[in-house]
Amino acid sequence: MNNLSVHFEGVSKVYPHFTLDNISLELPTGTIMGLIGANGAGKSTTIRILMGLVHQDQGRVHVLGREMPQQQAAAKLDIGFVSEDMRLYGTATLAWHLKFVRSIYPQWDQPYAETLLRRFDLKPEQKIKGLSHGQRVKAALLLSLARRPRLLVLDEPTTGLDPVARQEVLGELMAVLADEDRTILFSSHNTLDVEQISDQITFIDRGRIIASDDKEIFLDRWRRLRLVLSPEAELPRLPGIVEVSGSGHLPVLVTNNFEPALLSACSDAGATVQAVDPMTLEEIFVANVHSRREKQIV
Amino acid sequence: MNYTMVKTLILKDWYLQRWAILASLVGTMATLGIIASGGNVAFLLGLILLIMVIISIGAQLSVSTIVAERKEQTLPFVMSLPISYWEYTTSKIWGNLIIFLVPWLTMVVGSVALLLYVPKAHGLIPYTCIMATEILMTTCLILATAVITESQGWTVATIMVGNLAVNGIGYAVAHIPGIARGMWGSKIAWSPAASVVLLAEITMTTLLLGVAFFVQSRKKDFL
Repeated sequence: MNNLSVHFEGVSKVYPHFTLDNISLELPTGTIMGLIGANGAGKSTTIRILMGLVHQDQGRVHVLGREMPQQQAAAKLDIGFVSEDMRLYGTATLAWHLKFVRSIYPQWDQPYAETLLRRFDLKPEQKIKGLSHGQRVKAALLLSLARRPRLLVLDEPTTGLDPVARQEVLGELMAVLADEDRTILFSSHNTLDVEQISDQITFIDRGRIIASDDKEIFLDRWRRLRLVLSPEAELPRLPGIVEVSGSGHLPVLVTNNFEPALLSACSDAGATVQAVDPMTLEEIFVANVHSRREKQIV
Repeated sequence: MNYTMVKTLILKDWYLQRWAILASLVGTMATLGIIASGGNVAFLLGLILLIMVIISIGAQLSVSTIVAERKEQTLPFVMSLPISYWEYTTSKIWGNLIIFLVPWLTMVVGSVALLLYVPKAHGLIPYTCIMATEILMTTCLILATAVITESQGWTVATIMVGNLAVNGIGYAVAHIPGIARGMWGSKIAWSPAASVVLLAEITMTTLLLGVAFFVQSRKKDFL
């Protein structure tokens, strides 16, 4: 447990129209986990439970060795949290926010805060209501990063940002990753952002974790195979195929367990492998969701 | 309970509401000035204005420090700080009460001082104390509603009901024989009826705050 920053054991939460179902999740210290799911998949509920802001109906949650939600105040002393729906006080200046947060966190890093102010091009004397959406996100991120948290929890922080602001935010997050003791949980429905910074990926759909592994394992194992079948041949039954599409004699297969032996199996069955394409994280996510949903229907 | 964090959150609301506090003090002093200017019309007008100003301050505080925190999405920022929801609730209830007590005490002290200055109006002091406590009770009702529901609709409805209740209770109390008898006299007459009404108001105020804390302690979702 000591080397885990986040540990969920069989966590469930039931709402009238949504259920977070039996979530088990481990986030080792020093890793960056991307939590990917469609809107309404349960990412924010999971994160709110992690922060102690929503109490789970079942299961246990430990964050930085603290039991949640009971010990949330102590845990949050070492957590930096930024969410898409988080706003700062519009009538107050950024300087006031900096002073306010600095008064709470003994580990506040003032030189780093000043560096971030310059890097994000933020003016401390400016009122929050006068900032653009991108600047507000950067301000919230600055307030979280300068407290030097051991765990950084980011719930869709790049949503609504223009490409330049998004790259600036992601760039700063990548710089933060240089600290090996820092753990980050990054939720998004934008797989491109997650792919850039994460080394572990967890897919969540309809309140369930459908897959969780190292990013490289996902990218290595998932492949799209384009086959050509002779007129009399039938599509062979192959192991690890999660999706079949394309026309009758030009099938396209998606596998979640690609190995060179699969190519031999195709040839043995009379199919010509025309191409083996790597898949993006987004394609892997979509294929994963579709295959799980189809299994549920069956 | 982390009292340092509770204090920090109260000071935060104090800072964010500093102009409202200043405006409430100016408003209270101005209406007391109207009352002190003499004449029955000025007295009645000033009294009505004073009640309106004080109730408005309590309502405005609850709306801007509690309901707006959810509506304007600053609640996730506050709840990301090292606090529990219990500490958040404590800071909101005590913070609002402390801020409200500034104009409320100004009103009570100012009104009683004015009445003491006019010898033939001394009989009104018990009634004034009862009505001031009634306003405090109404403010606590609005505060409890705002804390529990965090809903603008429910809070506005409670403000309207509270406003009407102050007028209704004011009328009813003025017609309780034990209180009405000494109201227009030149002596302060604390009748048993006045004491019972005052005690009931204090009990109800305490009960409302207790209910707010109790309901909050049973909540499971804070965002």
